[in-house]
Amino acid sequence: MEQVDVFFCTGCEIGASLDMDAFEEVCDDGDANSLICHECLCSPEGVAKIQEAIDGGTDGLVIAACSQREKTAEFDFDRTKVHVERTAIRELAIWPHEANDEDTQMLAEDMIRMSLARFEALALPEKLEEEIAGTVLVVGGGYAGLTAALAAAGMGQSVELIEKEARLGGYLADCSNLVPERPPYDELQPNDIAELVSRVESHASIKVRKSTTITSITGSPGQLQVQTEGEGGPDGFTVGAIVQATGAKPYDAGKLEGFGYTENPDVITTTELEKMMSNGGLKRPSDGSTPGRVLFALCAGSRDEAHLSYCSSECCAASLKLVSAIHNDHPDTECVVVYRDLRAPGQLEHFYESVQCQPGSLFTRGDIKGVSVNGGGLKVAVENSLLGDDLDIETDLVVLATGMVPVSADGEAIRQLVDAQHRAEHGESDVQKEAAREIVAANLQHEGTEILNLHYRQGPDLPTLGYGFPDSHYICFPYETRRTGIFAAGTLRAPMDSAQAAEDGWGAAMKAVQCITSNSRGEAVHPRAGDISIAEFALQRCTQCKRCTEECPFGTINEDEKGTPEYFPLRCRRCGICLGACPERIISFPEYSVNAVGNAIKSVEVPDEDEEKPRVLVFACENDALPAIEEAARRRLKWNAWIRIVPVRCLGAVNTVWVADSLSTGFDGVMLMGCKKGDDYQCHYIKGSELAHTRMGNQQDTLKRLALEEERLQVLEVGRDDYAKIPEMFEEFAETIDDVGPNPYKGF
Amino acid sequence: MPATLQSAVPSESEGRTAFRRELFARGGETAPKCYQCGTCSAVCDLAIEDAPFPRKQMLDAQWGRGDQLAADPAIWLCHQCNDCSVRCPRDAKPGDVMQSIRALSVERLAVPAAVGKLVGNARTTWPILISVPLLIWIVLLALTNPGGLGVPAYPDAEHIGEADGPGYHVFLNKNHIYGVMFPTVILVCLALFASGKRFWNLLGTGTTRSGSFFSHLVPVVKEILFHNRFGQCESAKPRRWAHFALMWGFIGATATTTLVAIALYVIGNDLPLGQAHPFKLIGNFSALLLLYGCGALAWNRLTDAKNAGNSSAFDLYLLGVIGLVTVSGVLIEVLRLVHTDTESLGGLFYIGCWLYIVHMAAVVSLFLTVPYSKFAHILYRTLAMVHERMTGQATT
Repeated sequence: MEQVDVFFCTGCEIGASLDMDAFEEVCDDGDANSLICHECLCSPEGVAKIQEAIDGGTDGLVIAACSQREKTAEFDFDRTKVHVERTAIRELAIWPHEANDEDTQMLAEDMIRMSLARFEALALPEKLEEEIAGTVLVVGGGYAGLTAALAAAGMGQSVELIEKEARLGGYLADCSNLVPERPPYDELQPNDIAELVSRVESHASIKVRKSTTITSITGSPGQLQVQTEGEGGPDGFTVGAIVQATGAKPYDAGKLEGFGYTENPDVITTTELEKMMSNGGLKRPSDGSTPGRVLFALCAGSRDEAHLSYCSSECCAASLKLVSAIHNDHPDTECVVVYRDLRAPGQLEHFYESVQCQPGSLFTRGDIKGVSVNGGGLKVAVENSLLGDDLDIETDLVVLATGMVPVSADGEAIRQLVDAQHRAEHGESDVQKEAAREIVAANLQHEGTEILNLHYRQGPDLPTLGYGFPDSHYICFPYETRRTGIFAAGTLRAPMDSAQAAEDGWGAAMKAVQCITSNSRGEAVHPRAGDISIAEFALQRCTQCKRCTEECPFGTINEDEKGTPEYFPLRCRRCGICLGACPERIISFPEYSVNAVGNAIKSVEVPDEDEEKPRVLVFACENDALPAIEEAARRRLKWNAWIRIVPVRCLGAVNTVWVADSLSTGFDGVMLMGCKKGDDYQCHYIKGSELAHTRMGNQQDTLKRLALEEERLQVLEVGRDDYAKIPEMFEEFAETIDDVGPNPYKGF
Repeated sequence: MPATLQSAVPSESEGRTAFRRELFARGGETAPKCYQCGTCSAVCDLAIEDAPFPRKQMLDAQWGRGDQLAADPAIWLCHQCNDCSVRCPRDAKPGDVMQSIRALSVERLAVPAAVGKLVGNARTTWPILISVPLLIWIVLLALTNPGGLGVPAYPDAEHIGEADGPGYHVFLNKNHIYGVMFPTVILVCLALFASGKRFWNLLGTGTTRSGSFFSHLVPVVKEILFHNRFGQCESAKPRRWAHFALMWGFIGATATTTLVAIALYVIGNDLPLGQAHPFKLIGNFSALLLLYGCGALAWNRLTDAKNAGNSSAFDLYLLGVIGLVTVSGVLIEVLRLVHTDTESLGGLFYIGCWLYIVHMAAVVSLFLTVPYSKFAHILYRTLAMVHERMTGQATT
């Protein structure tokens, strides 16, 4: 950086709490061009002053004021012209510490030093300028896919819609009715899928490819090369983003014990009844008669560890729909519905009440113990009914409400299978071959299940998390998957009903269009929306260890045959997990690099041992931990003044060398504060927090070798709502450090 | 061994559906909404400790268990304060469902069954229930009165009683009344006895009673006369006093009939009795009680629908007929008193004559339907309360 200016805001109690004159020296030492204090930096005059400096050639800015999450619109400058380091003097120094206190002053000075020290190793990013395809590919022509196609086309994009079957409509094509989606929500709604299909098929911007599958997808979002195999032979085209809405299959009722599905023709599933009702009406499969008694067994195989351990959320609604349809067509047929918990969320409650209040309805809680033949009919044994007795209910037709199994191929497992198959044949030793054969056996069911056929190092399809559903954060970013630019919608993403699937189609289409728009501007899509920096690989120092290609949660990096990383910037989310992974430290971003953060750590003035002012370095994840810390400050909670906080993009973006840097600088302890890991992770980059735990676990061995106590390094999971515990976390660690004693390397 | 559907749930699928249809038609259409949270039983001031109602009855209703419900004393121990309906989180209205179950039970226990059906369907059959007795009176009077249905002749002075004016007996005399009312009362008593016996036997199935019926009947009647249990329904206080007045008004009016017979045959008074006659005072006071009772109950239904619950035909028929009896009774007395013509019985008196026919038709309708209308609670609730005492479940 040529010219770095420090703009210091003295408003919001800052100026009154610090010795402002002392910062002149700090800025001089940090090679800053000038220190400009202003009583309200976020005011138009303050912002104008900054802009004036930028226009005058300033390419580095330290804004010493409030949190980076505050005043983002005011402090938004051209990222290609100036790099801004926001340092939260207010939240991290003034609010949590005593005003005009020696320790607070030291902390604020350290914060300025740390910000200035970064600039030495930083450069301005260059905007990525690539040609971006505006077409959205929708995979799957069911309710969600059709809605997504229409939504994307309505937003002005051209759309390619691929459907494996010969007709559009998916699961709903076999349904005669839908659950109510409009007030008063108490009666069946006609199925409008045919109208939706015709709107899609006649839309000028939507190209529909039926009976078509994808043979390969190469490249990055914005430039995905899609090869298909369909009725007219192979074809190829380029798309900017993908909405995958390949839906779900009903769980195989043949696997359920005791229901007699395979033995008795009069035991059917809701899906089969749905088809039957729309093709000629209600009939007993065994003799073609109209049943006077129908029993619905809800949760057949669902919420059952032996089958589907989750709730498919839609089977209750599907059953209510069928009961209602039976009442409409056959008022004298009694429908007994045996449920464990009937789940009719939202407006469905009204529908439930209306179906329940039909004279032919009987809803009862109960566990079904078995279905047996009883003369010409069936007998269903029910336990734990509300009547308190064990019952045998006679019926003519048993309908099993089976759950949904998503049609999402597990890309990571397929990749593991391919790798293991290769090792099993060409392995270096018998032990390796045997181990590989075990992996092959465990993953064999994935063979030939590819849908997207992505040419990604980490596998041909979306990685899954639990139960085969694609991995994404169901609250914070529901349609995102672990493949940038590929969005999941409908029952592929989560079990849901038609109304939700339509909403999903819209959501995913909007994300796809957003992705195309952001890419066209050369900006990151999510979650660092607007970030224009991309990673740089100093490949001449690469040892082909493959850590970056394997650990990137988003499959950003492919490998060539030797194992050299091949980086696809448009797939990248700029989390920096590769930067944290690389043992050779060859990966960096223009404004976030191993050296820049290393410099910041080393710039802290660590007092000598006899001053009895220990220092603790905290790497805090910007997504949850840092906001939690700032929230604690906002609530005026006080904490230990030994703490120095370094915000990081993700805990996974912490390179282990920074721990060594900290300890060699004289820090007495290092804390890493990141998101919750595991199956219910909160990590915005999915694997970052988990990887940090593993990496820091390995780092403990290094500490031991250096004869340092392992207590000096701690990794904590901090939720956004843990703000009240922040001072206690700091205090506990400070006490630990106090017990362990000063860092013996202090002063070296 | 698990009970089969036939034994645990005696009505088969079709029977269940049929029961629900009948129940819904009588105002119990909210029963299926019940999800057995038990709020109703928890808030009920009258619920029995070991077998609190109406939670179980809601379930039985859903399952169409008509037989169980007919034999269940709990449905009669409920005084329908409707606390349960007001508090029900899903608007299943247990109070209304209990009332509908009672309506169905009355019908189910009715002897003869066809009359039970007729009265049970009062929503559509009420014109028959009123017009048939009316026709009987009209035909009877047309055939037996010397002047037919025309204005009666002004009576001789010796035929005018203490009231210093002619009475309606010149138009509708005691023989007419005896001729219709004795058979009516006998029929009603027979029907009540038969239904009561059926109910008593149903109640007793599978339970052990102790003590004699009459020794337990005495405290029950005492309880009923003072409305002690009704008083326990916190939110039903206004209804309790209205019903109390209505009941005592009815007892007073019935007693007056007996007293008039005593006046006529034992004391030797002439009819009509003078306004200062103690029996007349009792009769008039009873009429006031009836007026207040009917009025307050109707007012309660009109203004506090939430607490009063659903007003089904079962409820309205009884209230309407008692109202008709009361209002017509008061009006005919007033018309007689304001009739000042000392030579002719035309005008107001003659209007009173026709009102008298209406009054007597309403009385017959009321009496004839006692075993089949809501009035039957006098029988079933009393029996249920006696049964409750004899099985040691009584809470009071």
